[in-house]
Amino acid sequence: MISRFQIASKNLLRKKSRTTLTLIGIMLSSWVLVSLLGFNRGYETALNRDIDNMGYQLMVMAKGCPYEAATMMLQGGAGLRYIEQTMVNSIAARPEVDKVTPILMQAFFDPDKGDGGGIAGYFGIDLATYPGMKPFFRFRQGGWFKNDTAAEAVMGYEAAELEQREVGDMIMVPEKNVPLKVVGILERTGTQDDGTIYVPLKTLQKISAIDKITTIGIKVKKDADITKLENSLYQLPDMQVVSFTQVKQTIMKLISTARMMVLSIAIIALLIAMIGVVNTILMSVMERIQEIGILKTMGAMPIDIFFLVWTETLILCSVGGIAGIGLAIVFARLSDILVRRILPYSPGGELVAIDIRLALLTLAVILGVGLLSGIYPAWKAGRVRPLDSIRSEG
Amino acid sequence: MNPGYPNRSISRILKQLMLLMVLMLPAVPTTTQAAVNCELNYPASDVARLFPESDNYKISYFSFARQGGEPLLRKVEARLGSVPALYAPLNVPYTLYEIYKGGKRIGYIHGVNQKGQYGVLEVFVSLDMKGMIKAFYIQRMAGQWVNKFTLPKFGKQFVGLTLRDFELYDPVSGKGSGKVAAMTNPAPLAVTDFYGLQRAVKKNLVLMDEFVYSTQKGKQ
Repeated sequence: MISRFQIASKNLLRKKSRTTLTLIGIMLSSWVLVSLLGFNRGYETALNRDIDNMGYQLMVMAKGCPYEAATMMLQGGAGLRYIEQTMVNSIAARPEVDKVTPILMQAFFDPDKGDGGGIAGYFGIDLATYPGMKPFFRFRQGGWFKNDTAAEAVMGYEAAELEQREVGDMIMVPEKNVPLKVVGILERTGTQDDGTIYVPLKTLQKISAIDKITTIGIKVKKDADITKLENSLYQLPDMQVVSFTQVKQTIMKLISTARMMVLSIAIIALLIAMIGVVNTILMSVMERIQEIGILKTMGAMPIDIFFLVWTETLILCSVGGIAGIGLAIVFARLSDILVRRILPYSPGGELVAIDIRLALLTLAVILGVGLLSGIYPAWKAGRVRPLDSIRSEG
Repeated sequence: MNPGYPNRSISRILKQLMLLMVLMLPAVPTTTQAAVNCELNYPASDVARLFPESDNYKISYFSFARQGGEPLLRKVEARLGSVPALYAPLNVPYTLYEIYKGGKRIGYIHGVNQKGQYGVLEVFVSLDMKGMIKAFYIQRMAGQWVNKFTLPKFGKQFVGLTLRDFELYDPVSGKGSGKVAAMTNPAPLAVTDFYGLQRAVKKNLVLMDEFVYSTQKGKQ
């Protein structure tokens, strides 16, 4: 015996072009919807990971325009503002502070890097405190430096891959021509750490002929008031504070505006697709009004006709929804690249994260809205009066 | 202005955002460069310099993933002395500059990455249609003796050589004979870089042989 599902499928296949166009509409709207929901979650997760991977919640650096700092970094670090290392102890003594780590960021101009030369960034770190801030670091090869004055380097995954370095190999600090032995290569983290070269703080200070630092990373105690600490740090002369929690909130605020606009477009696209569904099913019902009348004379109840037509909606929405979600998963990487090109700042890692839960949620939304749209045509079909329909001209 | 969001806070937060971007700076060029194997920094002027008689060029890409896969990779490594020499995943595209004059293809420029003493070596050669080296160019190299290797005198030693010359010599073990074995090292302390450069050129020629010249022979 032929099932309701088979009858509904055959009905849809009668008008292949119309069914295909409706399916494309549903597919595109579900593609946009699932990608957007994926971005919604992926971006926040990636940003959280990037900021958590900084290892510290606050950073203190010498006061100055950040634009100026960026330019100085690009020019090879000449004229960067420095702070006295004694500041580390004064900050560490504050009750809210759990751990502090001094960092010296230096950028050297490498004439052989990229188009017309590029900047090679080095992080001078304190062996006693920095690794504790990054407990999630895993070494692919080797480990941290022997001591805090060793002429050694630890390379991020991509920095090592680009320079084809392995543990035991040497690297040369551009401009200064100082050789350093690679003692560790980190596993890929998907963050800025992958492109960083770490050197013992004292070694980098010696190479740069400077006894100061550029940054202090601060890890705050679990229940401490970060805002209070931040405000008190602002009182330090010529210092500025970077709070990653605030940075995260700001980025999320900027992103949420754009996200709302795109979500509105996705909802409109979904509504247009559903109007297409209503149109397709309604036309199909009108074209088959005599058949429906005959079915009723043969004993079909209004509820049977209702479910038969509703099944057509269900098939359209399921196939279109699954195809759209499938496309979104297949092209997630492409969406990721496009989003990165559009956004002024995007964190590392996966920006459009679509998992099975999100795919099922989107499918449920598409099916829910689709079935709601299908109620009217199905109800209209169920109300057809057999004699009127048979009398009417085909 | 929203009273709960004072002007000072906005400027402070924007500054912080800028700082975050500054902190992320070192990672950016590294990540983007890692995507492609070896490309000329200034293709227009580099092509004109390495192939003075050319009037046009076209860029194309080849990779093990698209042609030959794992078996071809193993074959290439075997031809290079059975030492993993490519340091690149199968899907990394190799950039090939096809050189034209008056609409006719007259040669190629191709570069490879090779492990050097203090960092990666980016080595290019320009080749005629038969696979003979016309010019040798080191785009990237680290170390205090870079100037010695970039002297025209050193580069000229490679001009006129073909894959046949490199097959007589193993730059991994330093054993063999012929013109490659007779090359002089301008910086005796930089042995790794000297052999690295020879190995890079051999790798370059083997890749060109497998992906370009043998394909052309097959078509003829």
